[in-house]
Amino acid sequence: MMTQWPGSSPAWCPGCGNFSILKTLDQAIDAAEIDRRRLVLVSGIGQAAKLPHYTRANVFNGLHGRALPAATGIKVANHRLEVVITSGDGDLYGEGGNHLIHAMRRNVGVKVFVHNNQVYGLTKGQASPTSDRGFVTKIQTHGVILQPINPLALAVVEDCSFVARSFAGAPDHLLRTMTEALSHRGGLALVDILQPCVSFNRVNTFQWYRERVRPVEDSHDPFDRDGALKLALQQGDEIPIGVIYRSRRPSFESQLAVLAGKSLCEHFEEERR
Amino acid sequence: MDLNIRIAGEAGQGVQTTGNLLVRAFAGLGLYVFATQSYMSRIRGGVNWFDVRIGDRELFSGRERADLLVALSPGALEALRGEVTDAGVVLFDGAGAPGVQSLAFTETATEVSGSAQLANTVAAGAVFGLLGYEIDKLCDPLAVQFGKKGAELVAGNVRCARRGAELAAALAASVAAPRPGGAPGDVCSGSEAVGLAAATAGVKFVASYPMTPSTGVFTFLAGAADEYGIVVEQAEDEIAAVNMVCGATYAGVPAMTTTSGGGFALMAEGLSLAGMMELPAVVLLAQRPGPATGLPTRTGQEDLAFALHAGHGEFPRALFAPGTPAQAYELTRRALKTAHRFQTPVIVLIDQFLADVQKNTQPLDRSLRPIDRHVVLDPAPDYVRYAVTGDGVSPRALPGSGPFVVCDSDEHTEDGHITEDLGVRVRLQDKRLAKVKGMTAEALPPEVYGPTDPGARGDECPARPESLPRANSTRPPQPPGAAGAETLLVAWGSTYGPCREAVDILAAEGRSVALVHFAQVWPLDAGAVRPLLTGAGAKRVISVEGNSTGQFASILRGAGAIDTCDRLLRYDGMPLTGEWIAERILR
Repeated sequence: MMTQWPGSSPAWCPGCGNFSILKTLDQAIDAAEIDRRRLVLVSGIGQAAKLPHYTRANVFNGLHGRALPAATGIKVANHRLEVVITSGDGDLYGEGGNHLIHAMRRNVGVKVFVHNNQVYGLTKGQASPTSDRGFVTKIQTHGVILQPINPLALAVVEDCSFVARSFAGAPDHLLRTMTEALSHRGGLALVDILQPCVSFNRVNTFQWYRERVRPVEDSHDPFDRDGALKLALQQGDEIPIGVIYRSRRPSFESQLAVLAGKSLCEHFEEERR
Repeated sequence: MDLNIRIAGEAGQGVQTTGNLLVRAFAGLGLYVFATQSYMSRIRGGVNWFDVRIGDRELFSGRERADLLVALSPGALEALRGEVTDAGVVLFDGAGAPGVQSLAFTETATEVSGSAQLANTVAAGAVFGLLGYEIDKLCDPLAVQFGKKGAELVAGNVRCARRGAELAAALAASVAAPRPGGAPGDVCSGSEAVGLAAATAGVKFVASYPMTPSTGVFTFLAGAADEYGIVVEQAEDEIAAVNMVCGATYAGVPAMTTTSGGGFALMAEGLSLAGMMELPAVVLLAQRPGPATGLPTRTGQEDLAFALHAGHGEFPRALFAPGTPAQAYELTRRALKTAHRFQTPVIVLIDQFLADVQKNTQPLDRSLRPIDRHVVLDPAPDYVRYAVTGDGVSPRALPGSGPFVVCDSDEHTEDGHITEDLGVRVRLQDKRLAKVKGMTAEALPPEVYGPTDPGARGDECPARPESLPRANSTRPPQPPGAAGAETLLVAWGSTYGPCREAVDILAAEGRSVALVHFAQVWPLDAGAVRPLLTGAGAKRVISVEGNSTGQFASILRGAGAIDTCDRLLRYDGMPLTGEWIAERILR
């Protein structure tokens, strides 16, 4: 018998892309046949990071930028848990950028869903690491002059084991992509989800994205790294969505001999007896 | 009697190898050993030295000056010649200078073994020869040390050691040596003791970023990982390390991180997370002088106030500060137990001096004895993680065991979900802080050492050489040595041994002195401690610390454990010694 959390209404603005991501994530969890008792949703801080509170799962809502190291600790301690991160671009690409680089090297088996709205929502509208050049905010008053980070290209270069992009405004595509990521067994899966912010980003709207997203061609072989990099570098008028890259690297936990038969938790419990 | 032998040379000359060899050989002879290291933050060159103090009774401190200096380089001779006792002897690998015994270590090594690199083994042999110890007792540990590298190298080293002993025996100089006795043959460093305690207590996950002087513990645990089934991960930074530990403890395994001041500063937010989420995160904080990068390879006790206050907001924590390797073993285990009993972060404070010190120790228990995690294995369906209880400790379940385990760094309701209900906020903050009462009740009382207290004399009590006082004893700690002492030394952490020897030195000078040592510095039961510090009639209370402001004295005053006291502070990066303290008190 599973406990139903009575829930509270999400603290998101009406029309926020997060609603679609939440609804689709719930469907993807069921589609991937994940036992929610073994599911841990991990997040940092931001509007996206509140998502774990709005569904039924174990929750570790930690510090800003630190979802990845916390998720790593959870997965290593008990790799029988399904560990999924849902957090924002500021959290995972900005404050926690260093962790992302090293988590991809480590290739720990956690699924990372980045709600990428190209803006800081919770702190009311400053630039994020993915904001386009020229994006004007109350801080970047003359427009952003920094180059936006390209998370997918970074992930391909880092040989991340699963790299995909989807769009909150394309729920079917998002469900397929999320389900595939949740079913990935080879280590870290990064899914960059384009998510319009209806309050602080008047540029990258649902309409703006709809006009630009292009599903990846069926002919694309995600194991082709050069082809993947070419797709990842496509930005601007045409934004590819879909599974961009996959690699056949062993996951972190599969390389630890001590985890071969039992989880660390099980080892401890057995030794304690 | 005791004797201080100082092996000095450039980094890369094998100073440490020679020192370690002598430590093992002396302990094998049944001598009491106390070895400390002083090294520069470099891999080659400079002047490093390794002090091996030997005695016929238990030793607790290093000494300022050497009775026997072995200088392997001209720079070492120049830097350390002035630090030799009046009757001391200097052995130098080079042309003679006044008062210096020339001994051609390098030339002899080349001649005997064909390798100049074995000069330090000739030097070790010379030390044995000069002190009149049987050279076979040096050859056995040589075989252990170099056995893996092949019989030929062992044979070369043995020849070098024997030749060194012969050369030294022929010298005009002589040094009175302590007679080998019944000292325990096991030698342990502070780093090994902490690491072994963590491994045997069932720590299953360690995430750290290397930083001197904490790296020794990290390295020990990596070496013990296969035997004890530990995952040891080098994190990308200390922020990642502490957050990994938070994640691992949430999922259910005892976990810890190791760091020094700068890295610990980066962990401050994670420590606060452990306080808010009520996770049993344990941090080993090995101190070195700051601020900033400070003196990376030297010692200090400068991070006490920081460790006590690190992390934003208010949450319970415990701070342990062992005084000897044996205490480091007991207290690391205790730190893990306390963290799990009260579901809150615990910090173990050591420093470069204690991390690197090598001392005879009764054999430490190497068997795996996992601690109690205090978890509920079959939680009810209506389980909530932060149920408000009388003692502030909520039943702790693990994710995957049934009902959802929800933890939030935001203020949260009893079920762990984010809230801005300010009434709930007060209730949950009160719940977390309610744990302080229980933690204070279980805190270790300070240990009192006075020269008239035979029970506290480790050398006469070989079964428990550094016994810790027991918590929850039916009566307050009785200070036989403190009662009536005119001067009380107050110490915390690694200054235990130096202060203890200062008490002995001062007692021999006819002074009435006792030591009150805190191996747990927080929580502090001021009501129990105050009579000890102010009620025993001492005319003078002196806080002896390795920092420049007297941090512990301020904490004692702040807690109401004392009104005023003198401070005797050392912050030149070198460890306190019994003679350094005694000299200043006699002055």
